[in-house]
Amino acid sequence: MTNARPIRLSTSAELAIATPEGVVFRLPLAGPASRLYAMLLDIVIVLVTVNGLALLVYWIFSKAPGFGVMAITLAEFAIGFAYSALLEGFWNGQTIGKRLFHLRVIDQTGLPLRIEQAWVRNLMRVFDTLPFAYLVGGISVLSNPLMQRFGDRVAGTLVVRQTPLLPPGEEPWTHQKYNSFMNYPSIAMKLRRAATPELASLIQDALRRRNELAPYARREIYRELSAYLQSEISPFPDELVEMLSDEQYLINAAGVLFGEQRLLRVRR
Amino acid sequence: MILDLERFQAQARPRWNNLESLLALVEGRPDHGLNPAEAEQLQELYTQAAADLSRVTHGALAPELRQYLERLVARAYAELYYDPPKRSQFWQWRSWLRIFTAFPEAFRRQSRYFALAVLITLLGCTMGGLAVRYDPASVDLLLPADYLRDPGKRVHAEEKGENRHVPSRQIEAAFSAQLIRHNIEVSLLAAALGVTFGIGTALLLFENGVLLGAVAVRYTQQGFGLFVAAWLLPHGVFEIPSMLIAGQAGFYLARLLLRRREDRDVRQTMREWLVLIAGLALMLTWAGIMEAFFSQHHEPELPYGFKVAVAGAEFALLTVYLLVIGRRKTGDLTQTKVRAEDK
Repeated sequence: MTNARPIRLSTSAELAIATPEGVVFRLPLAGPASRLYAMLLDIVIVLVTVNGLALLVYWIFSKAPGFGVMAITLAEFAIGFAYSALLEGFWNGQTIGKRLFHLRVIDQTGLPLRIEQAWVRNLMRVFDTLPFAYLVGGISVLSNPLMQRFGDRVAGTLVVRQTPLLPPGEEPWTHQKYNSFMNYPSIAMKLRRAATPELASLIQDALRRRNELAPYARREIYRELSAYLQSEISPFPDELVEMLSDEQYLINAAGVLFGEQRLLRVRR
Repeated sequence: MILDLERFQAQARPRWNNLESLLALVEGRPDHGLNPAEAEQLQELYTQAAADLSRVTHGALAPELRQYLERLVARAYAELYYDPPKRSQFWQWRSWLRIFTAFPEAFRRQSRYFALAVLITLLGCTMGGLAVRYDPASVDLLLPADYLRDPGKRVHAEEKGENRHVPSRQIEAAFSAQLIRHNIEVSLLAAALGVTFGIGTALLLFENGVLLGAVAVRYTQQGFGLFVAAWLLPHGVFEIPSMLIAGQAGFYLARLLLRRREDRDVRQTMREWLVLIAGLALMLTWAGIMEAFFSQHHEPELPYGFKVAVAGAEFALLTVYLLVIGRRKTGDLTQTKVRAEDK
């Protein structure tokens, strides 16, 4: 169950940076798959550009085709390296492919990368593509905790995921007028104590994605989750549970977990 | 949950919004510049957001809010601590022309790695030469391309121009581009193989040396010494040194990677590596042009003595360029650089 907005960072690789102010923030690292797609898109863009340029050059050099070939051979070579290096260096660490796939190259200290780093990591590509199809680079990415290929290791850069992020909106379950679970404060406290952060955000994800799930899948997931909560975490009285749908059960549970005010009021 | 999330968010939302709009403003500028008032405001908002993040991390179960704040703090952190390059320089052609002085300066600064590259290549040359001299059977092994095995035939073919089916400027132009591209690729690989702690660079240089030594001895043995000098040297005097400089860059990179992480002044060292690469790319461009347009013309057309003389002149110019250009200024420049780093 992955969310469209990545929530459980702990399940994917990330870079943790401690600032001089003593605060730690984490940046989610980009996986090999999305980097591969971005790269393929960039390759297509470069090929189209070079071929378009070739048509123009051949037209200009129609009297001297050899010099046309010379120009285009060298241009293709130069564009191959310069495309990524210049775009990454001057466009916030993103090529067109990387921007579309929400990737960004940054310095491994969390700062923007420098133009020198952009050139180094892209020139080092000649090593990463050895012996074919990015085998060396791929192995490096998979074996490195920061998912760096050799070019990244040398340049001290890494690729992070950068999905657009909005401040969280207010969730309906934090504004429940009445939550029947609160009639059983001791059981509710038990639920709150026993629920791990992972479980809590799993419940939240499941509810938030209500409309994205197929009806059957939604029913199954909600049933499994509520059954698990009821049997393993905190058994609420049967007469209460029987009255609730699985969805309502989860909404109430989320209300217990995420709505902080109400519990205090009940306890008073 | 220690933190009352609703109240907390309601209170903090305005300052997060302020920070977001300030960041959008700064990030939109080409030089990411800040005026003093903005810098002060950014500093203050950043500190508050960092404190908010700290409270959310330890006081509440709010993964989304935490992620939002992390992203916000990361962006502000990048703006506050990043020292952006002066971008206007990039568009001035003067700064691009500096490569012509920066290259020999970098070459001289890292000359010990160049010496290592020369040493390994010479070792390869000696091995290759000796092998061909004393063990004729090794020729088959050392010289993979079949045309190198029978120099007499090859010389004959070259002098008659048999290999150039359509002898024309057009073909030479296309040929030179391919040579330039191929040579730069190989050199770049030699420089990049520095990440194998220099082992790959050394192997590549050694192999190159063996080939050179074997060809030289083989052709000299059979009495074509002058021909091969005239055939290979006009471009070789640039091609071979640029391969050595690629080796130099490779060993430099290896040394850099072996050094402890904290010692690295990454920015300066990367620039040095890039300058070496840019310089050898320029050298190889010249070599490619010479190889296609000059080296392939033989005796009746161009006397061998003339070709060797041209090669000699080229080599002298290259040596002077690498050893002398920018020398007077080198002292001042390193001093200013050191001073800039101190700040």
